[in-house]
Amino acid sequence: MLALQLLVNGIVTGSALGVMAVSFALIYATTRVFHVAHAGVYTLGGYLAWTLVHRGVPDLPALVLAMAGCVVVGSLIQILLYGPLDRRGAAQLVVLIASLGALAVIQNLIAAVYSPDILEFPPNWAGHVFPLPGGLRLTGVQIATVVVDFIAFGLTLAFAHRTLLGKRIRAVASNPFLAEITRLEPRRVHVYVMAIASALVCLPGVLGPLDYGLQPYGGVTPLLTATIAMIAGGIGSLAGAFALAVAIVVLQNLALLVMPGEWSIGVTFAIFVVFMLLRPRGLFAGKA
Amino acid sequence: MDYFYSYLILAEIYTLLGLSTNLLVGVVGIFSVSQAAVFGVGAYIVGDFLLAGTLSFLPALAVAALACILLNVLISLPSLRVAGDYFVVTSFGIQLLATATFTNWTAGTGGANGMPGVPPPDLLGLPIESTRGILAVTTVATLVACLAFWLILRAPFGRLLKAIREDESAVAAAGKGVLSAKVSAAALAGAFAGVAGGLYATYLSFIDPSSFDLDASILLLTMVVVGGARTLAGSIFGPFLLLALPQVLTFVAIPTTYAATARQLVYGALLIAFALFRPQGLLGERL
Amino acid sequence: MTAYLEVCGVTHNFGGLQALNDCAFAISQGGITCLVGPNGAGKTTIFNVITGFLRPDTGRVGFRGRTLSGLAPQAIVHAGIARSFQNLRLFTDLTACDNVMLALPDRAGETPFGALFRPFATARSDRRRRADALERLDHVGLAARADERVRNLSYGEQKLLTIARLLATGAELLLLDEPASGLAAGALDQVMVLLRRLRGEGKTLLVVEHNTRVVQQIADEVLFLHQGHLLAQGPPARIIADPALAEIYFGGAL
Repeated sequence: MLALQLLVNGIVTGSALGVMAVSFALIYATTRVFHVAHAGVYTLGGYLAWTLVHRGVPDLPALVLAMAGCVVVGSLIQILLYGPLDRRGAAQLVVLIASLGALAVIQNLIAAVYSPDILEFPPNWAGHVFPLPGGLRLTGVQIATVVVDFIAFGLTLAFAHRTLLGKRIRAVASNPFLAEITRLEPRRVHVYVMAIASALVCLPGVLGPLDYGLQPYGGVTPLLTATIAMIAGGIGSLAGAFALAVAIVVLQNLALLVMPGEWSIGVTFAIFVVFMLLRPRGLFAGKA
Repeated sequence: MDYFYSYLILAEIYTLLGLSTNLLVGVVGIFSVSQAAVFGVGAYIVGDFLLAGTLSFLPALAVAALACILLNVLISLPSLRVAGDYFVVTSFGIQLLATATFTNWTAGTGGANGMPGVPPPDLLGLPIESTRGILAVTTVATLVACLAFWLILRAPFGRLLKAIREDESAVAAAGKGVLSAKVSAAALAGAFAGVAGGLYATYLSFIDPSSFDLDASILLLTMVVVGGARTLAGSIFGPFLLLALPQVLTFVAIPTTYAATARQLVYGALLIAFALFRPQGLLGERL
Repeated sequence: MTAYLEVCGVTHNFGGLQALNDCAFAISQGGITCLVGPNGAGKTTIFNVITGFLRPDTGRVGFRGRTLSGLAPQAIVHAGIARSFQNLRLFTDLTACDNVMLALPDRAGETPFGALFRPFATARSDRRRRADALERLDHVGLAARADERVRNLSYGEQKLLTIARLLATGAELLLLDEPASGLAAGALDQVMVLLRRLRGEGKTLLVVEHNTRVVQQIADEVLFLHQGHLLAQGPPARIIADPALAEIYFGGAL
């Protein structure tokens, strides 16, 4: 029974990390920036929502406003940091260092403004337990997480394949040089992508902490799992990133049957090593 | 005076780490946020041996260096196989895994409570208890490492590493092997970090996971970025400057609970500023 | 005459795109062979296959009767074949001299052991190496620019430097990918003179070239590649005069 509950928990958390992986993959495929600071944007979303809820803003508007905040921060990172570095032809290593710097700044600003300790959301609907047949239990936040994240994933896929902007983004992703000489304006597209991905990552950024609470440095481990999912799924495949995120988190959860939770990072990393050795291009590489 | 000695000792230990990180990040161009993990392995190994009394200081230091050579080679192996960005994942993964191990493997590391009572270093059975004695030991180690770094940079081996940083395919087309050079550089970087770890553990006599976490790795990277890539002067200047920073921050009235946060905030800002405006650091070459 | 370099039935696919399709040709020792064909004909791809940067799906490459397939790029350099790149791929943060020194086959001091434990011997051998490199630089007329960082050299100088670096490997068969492209008339003549002189010194050259004037002036033989397949081989005058080939080359029959 425990195994089934862990499986369900895995799918729930996996869908959250799936959205994080998809948002990261959007950025990476389009801008080629390994946006480590995405972990900071993810964390920031949760803190913004927490603040708004504490000021008496109802839950849904708080989520939307938090997403808006993430959009602003994500776009600013592109406009003020990655954009100028790109124009200067900075090496990949320098962009990575800048991104790491942005992560450190966001995390520690959060720690300075709030506190380095865990913050809990006030008790609300999220903690309500819904018993399911077979002895399974789902909390309100778990149900919300699955529903919101699967919808967000579906909408992202539809957006990428059905809308004009989505097609433009995929065009920039598949051939930046051609995009440059046509009228696709890759630089502007990069800002759009960062905005969209920052809004997306805010969803798991808010929903996750409803359950576990907030921590300024809590974004790095989820980001590691999300990036591993992206690589294992195959760069360029949004569906692959999402599917692998769910699969990895399910495995992490099932591993709890045989080892304590402190070591789940080891499970994640072992999965990465296996992929690197056997299938470094990922499962679904090549599909746009 | 002791206060100043203690600053010198720590700055020298971090110079060893700066050289290690500069070799990987500045010279070979491998992004790394896991050098603090290697540093930690060195520290815990020396701590364990000295506490158990099974080895004296120098043999323990040699074992630590050897273990860190192996570890660093293992860590950098994926960078031989996969493109640059993927290696970021490896590096973050190793760092987080190491922190998990340092924190949770209580038998080997003392866990989150740390490892107290590591004996001072000894030479030929004579314990070195005084701060000045330890300063002499770290100074010798640092001078040796600086000499090694300098020799490597001016040798054909250094030229090969710099070329690898720029274009691995062109190096192969010039008839040179990329793999063995990268592995050798990683091994050297591991040895530096391992020795630094052993010195750190014996000097402070207490170590805990917080000295070897992701933030510590970010500090090491900041030292290289601020000091400057691929020069000896940069590798020394970065650590000495950045370790003086906390002393400066104490003049600004920041509550002690926020001191660590303020430091990391400054490091982050420095990384951004140097990436944007001075990629060659203060005394180095362009990253 | 026995084949010097021999390419047999090489096929290579990128995803769904067939870059090389049963590509086969042989060239003999000495002389300059030009590899021509429309864009996408597979010229650079066959370079990558010969020099070990790409592993072909099928087929083999032979050099002086020895099979090269499966060797790593640096092993192929040691076997005697070196290549340049269309986009130069110089080490732009290093000096011109360093670029050449790096390509010299001498391996003394290229391991940490030599660098750390035999510093004086390493320094001595490096001085010898520098003299060697200066000689190669002089060969292409760049001796005066030896200690300049590559990124400060003009494009023409950089192109000459790629040839000096190629020479430094000591290889006898040189594969040059568009050595004359993007050059002004003066520099172009300089490169052509240099290539002829290399032929005179006993090197064998396989050159990808688009400029028909250059091909006419330097080539002893021309290979015409189309859609990854050898379409024609012969003296330059005949290949260039062939109306069917000209139609493919200029007619946009991609």
